[in-house]
Amino acid sequence: MSKVIVIDDEPFILMMIEDKLKSAGIGVITLKESINAVSLIKKERPDLIILDWMMPELSGIDLCKILKNDPETADIPIFMLTAKGQESDQQMGLKCGVEQFITKPFSPKALLEKIEQALKRN
Amino acid sequence: MFKQKILHRIFLAFLIFALIFIIPFSLTVHKELKKMVEKEEKAETPEEKERIHSEFQTQFRDSIVVFSFYTFVFAFFLSLFFSRSLLKPIRDFFEGAKSIKEGNLDVRLEVINEDELGEVTRSFNEMAASLQKKTEELKRKELYVSTMMDPLWVLSDNNVITDVNPASAKLFGYSRDFMIGTSVFDVVDGENSKILKSNLNFEGKSSSSIFEISIIAKNGSLIPVLITCSPILKDDQVTDKICILKDFRREHQLRDALRESRDSLESIMDSIEDDLLVIDREFKIVRANKAVKAKKGEGVIGNYCYSTLHDLSMPCWQAESDCPSKKVFETGRISKTVHRHASIAGNISFHDIVSYPITDQKGNVTHAIEFIRDVTEEKEHERKITQRNRELTAINSIADILSRSLNIEEILSGVMGKLIELLRMDGGGIYLMDEANRELICAYHRGISEEFARITRRLRIGEDIPGKVAATGQLITIPDIESDQRIERSILKHAGMKGYCVIPIKGKERIVGVFCIFSFSPHTFAVEEERLLNSIGEMTGIAIENIRLYEEMRNLYKYLRQRREDDHKSILSLSSKLTADLDIKAVMNSSIELIKGAFKADLAWLLEIKDQDLILKAASGLNISRGETIYTKGTSSLEWFTIEKNMPVIIPAFSSENRFHFSDYLMPVYKSAVCIPVHAGEKVIGALTLYYVVSKEIKEDDIHFLQIVSSILAVALERSETYEKTLLEREMSDTILQSISDGILTVDTKCRIISVNKTISNIIGVNQEQILGKQCCDIFNYSRENNSFRWTLGACLNSALERRSENIEADLITAAGRKISVMISSSPVIDSDGKVVGVVNALRNVTREKEIDRMKTEFVNTVSHQFRTPLSAIIGMTEMIIDGDVKDDKAKEYLTTVLSEGKRLSEMVEDLLNIARIESGREPFREEAIDFNLMLNDLKKLFTNALKKKKGKLTTVINGDIKEFTGDKGKLSQLMKNLISNSIAYSDEGCSINISIAQKDDNLEINVSDNGWGIPEEDIPHLTERFYRGRHGQAVKGTGLGLALCKDIVTLHGGNISFKSTPDQGTTVTLNFPYRRKA
Repeated sequence: MSKVIVIDDEPFILMMIEDKLKSAGIGVITLKESINAVSLIKKERPDLIILDWMMPELSGIDLCKILKNDPETADIPIFMLTAKGQESDQQMGLKCGVEQFITKPFSPKALLEKIEQALKRN
Repeated sequence: MFKQKILHRIFLAFLIFALIFIIPFSLTVHKELKKMVEKEEKAETPEEKERIHSEFQTQFRDSIVVFSFYTFVFAFFLSLFFSRSLLKPIRDFFEGAKSIKEGNLDVRLEVINEDELGEVTRSFNEMAASLQKKTEELKRKELYVSTMMDPLWVLSDNNVITDVNPASAKLFGYSRDFMIGTSVFDVVDGENSKILKSNLNFEGKSSSSIFEISIIAKNGSLIPVLITCSPILKDDQVTDKICILKDFRREHQLRDALRESRDSLESIMDSIEDDLLVIDREFKIVRANKAVKAKKGEGVIGNYCYSTLHDLSMPCWQAESDCPSKKVFETGRISKTVHRHASIAGNISFHDIVSYPITDQKGNVTHAIEFIRDVTEEKEHERKITQRNRELTAINSIADILSRSLNIEEILSGVMGKLIELLRMDGGGIYLMDEANRELICAYHRGISEEFARITRRLRIGEDIPGKVAATGQLITIPDIESDQRIERSILKHAGMKGYCVIPIKGKERIVGVFCIFSFSPHTFAVEEERLLNSIGEMTGIAIENIRLYEEMRNLYKYLRQRREDDHKSILSLSSKLTADLDIKAVMNSSIELIKGAFKADLAWLLEIKDQDLILKAASGLNISRGETIYTKGTSSLEWFTIEKNMPVIIPAFSSENRFHFSDYLMPVYKSAVCIPVHAGEKVIGALTLYYVVSKEIKEDDIHFLQIVSSILAVALERSETYEKTLLEREMSDTILQSISDGILTVDTKCRIISVNKTISNIIGVNQEQILGKQCCDIFNYSRENNSFRWTLGACLNSALERRSENIEADLITAAGRKISVMISSSPVIDSDGKVVGVVNALRNVTREKEIDRMKTEFVNTVSHQFRTPLSAIIGMTEMIIDGDVKDDKAKEYLTTVLSEGKRLSEMVEDLLNIARIESGREPFREEAIDFNLMLNDLKKLFTNALKKKKGKLTTVINGDIKEFTGDKGKLSQLMKNLISNSIAYSDEGCSINISIAQKDDNLEINVSDNGWGIPEEDIPHLTERFYRGRHGQAVKGTGLGLALCKDIVTLHGGNISFKSTPDQGTTVTLNFPYRRKA
């Protein structure tokens, strides 16, 4: 069974994604704070990580940079949830190794499809 | 014979073979006979003998028959076999001959035997080879003939065409079949027939004949051809004739063209008036034009050019003259020279000779063309011009002397010096006429002894040569005094003078004196020299008269000057007044005052035409205000009359004058007047009038002087008005320039500053006057950060100087060290001639616009994020409920979240609207007394949960008794909420927030302090800007509206808000509210 870690400071987003992925038979671990995420990710070795861009303490993009610079986690595909739709932000994210951007508000169904495709690909 | 030989062979073969068989056969028979005899001897009975004998006979007979038969057959076939070697060559011959007949000349037979047949075979082969060679040769010749470009005719001895080649048919159009059998005389006309006939007759000669005739082609045209005809002889008899015809049309055309060009060349040559020769390398004349032939006769061709043209017996260069043609032959380049020829009669002539090379195809100079022009006349002209120039120079230098001084003695000595120098004389003297005593008195002398001068100091008119010249006015020249009888005084001879000349000094109507010049050697005076001397004499005479006239004039002038001095003083005073002062009113009044004084008038006024009326511009002696209408249009006044007539009008006495109506301003005391029209250029702009209470005689020079004065006044009037207008316009533009918020910087084409406005001087922090004339790029803060600005400004200036307007943005550090963004707009200043004379640069501070732009972008990003997060819940969760992903309690939980997020969205919209409302001034201010204790307690309750999460605490202090404070409770509560929530949000766990309220004089001070992250220094100035999110904005969610709303609320209460912060230590927000708010 595939395993996905979702990190967002909004509890309802976490709940929504968890419910949707579980209904599709995908294992989900949710995390409200990004600060301790790295050790959890290393321990769980998920197939995919979903990060929120704007989080207190450690932003999604900073976390992404840490993960992509660590050989242990560099190969895990990362989806970035963002309210920012601007082109320049997206380019910065792509440079840092983000595989896909999911712009808020998003459809859980479309998100699931994208996740399934990514899991199949990787 | 050959047949016999064959039979012999067969027979011999037969015999040989017969013998070959008969000998063994005979031996066998002999052996069998011997056996039979033996048997017979042994036989006992005759019968037996007889039987043996008959058996033998039978056997012998049978054997003979069989043997003979086989022998014959074998011998026959063998002989046939052997005779084959004879028959094969014969058969080969037959086949070979047949093959040759069929045209196969490659046939060669095999030599089988070295016998006669072999010989014959070899001869046959040689014959075949020879035949093949001949045939090939013939074919080749046929090919030549058929491919020949030139037509070829074969004629019989009686001139009938027997064969032609294809070229013939092509050229003449007749087919080969038509030509063959035709007489050659059938294709030529009568004249050509004769030439043909004579050239085709080869009787008594065997050489070819070459001749040119025209053949009639099939299309009737005549084709010129060159025929080469050769006879074919057999036993000295002409059997055939071969004619090769060469198409001569092209040659004919070329010949015609050549003739034409030769003709035209000759006509060109003949049309040239100059002599023209073509000479070869031996200097022989090859061609000459009409001009040469007309002079030298027709027979010049073949003669040497130097003998024909220059009557020389040797080439020019040997006679030490230049020969241009020799140079042409040597160098191949055009050469020219001028020859000077002296005829036997002594006449000198000049020839200008130009030689051009004629080259062959290899570039070698084969001939030279000489153009010879007789330039004697031109040379003569040249000489005359030179002479004339010399004369003019002399006259000029003398005129210079004459015009340089007004002192007679100085002039005379100068002219004398020049004459001596010009004619290379040794000395001379000048006598001036004393008309009263009828004698000449020496005024100047040079080169003679004092003694001689003393003796000849005075001469009577008619005495001596000078006296004669003074009497007659005619110049006298003496080449040598010694041989001249006219000399009366011997002292001239004793003085050693030889060449002598006396020139009359003529005035306009009389002789004023004489020049005498002499040389100690004989001197022949040329006609031109005499003419020159006469001119000098006349010039000097006029000059002397002029000087005398000048003296008289000077005296007169002195007298007049005294008279005019007062007038000039007046003008000077008037002019200086006019030039020094530009206040038109003052200028005019004082000018009129001056004029009145100068002319001793009782009243003077200047009236100007304005709106078709005459209004008062200035007056003296009358108390009327400037601008008053004196005469309306159509009034028959003196001034209108003067203006209409455009001339001065004098009224000597009013008593005898009834044409004019006088203004009521004029008292009826005036007796006389003078009125002058005032001109600005051609246009009359008014009138100047002087009134007198006495009858005054106005003189012409007074009028003239008045006209000058009026002109000066008109110019001053015009200039002053223009100046006033310009001043006004300048004032207006200057006010505009100084009042606009954009910096305006005007420079000249060298980028030196002409003008700047206040904005610019504020930016650079220097007084306007201090920067005028400086280089434009040098006035801005000279820090490295401004390099880019200076470079951009320079680029804008350059573009504008090239007539391109530019708009470029650049950052500038101001004198105060502030960084601002400036939009530089440069445009060229173009004068009335269309020339660029400078550049106007407008520097607009666009910092604020840029900041607003940045803030808008920030707002879009922030607001979109804040709106999108709750929208995610609303859209995502409803979608999952609809899709049936969640049911029952979960669905209810989802719907609850959707509701709360919807509310959050709504609150955010409300926040934004609040700010908008406060800022627009439409929000009502609900003023009431504020109970801070109550408010602080409510706030503590409100933030209990949030503080618990952060493990923080909130302490509140109200210092002492504070006066009752009134304000909008709701808004103040909102303000405090925002500040506290910020303190919590931007702090770590264990945060401590303290609120203190105190009264300070007439103000209420509220401090909200925390021990949070602090605010970076660069963020502090922007904190209250809407949508501004500082460095910590990434980490904490928010709209960037909280502090903006706070500031708006504080401002609404007439107070102010300030921030003090130390990074990582905390922040204190101080709110100051006045108790007495301004309405």
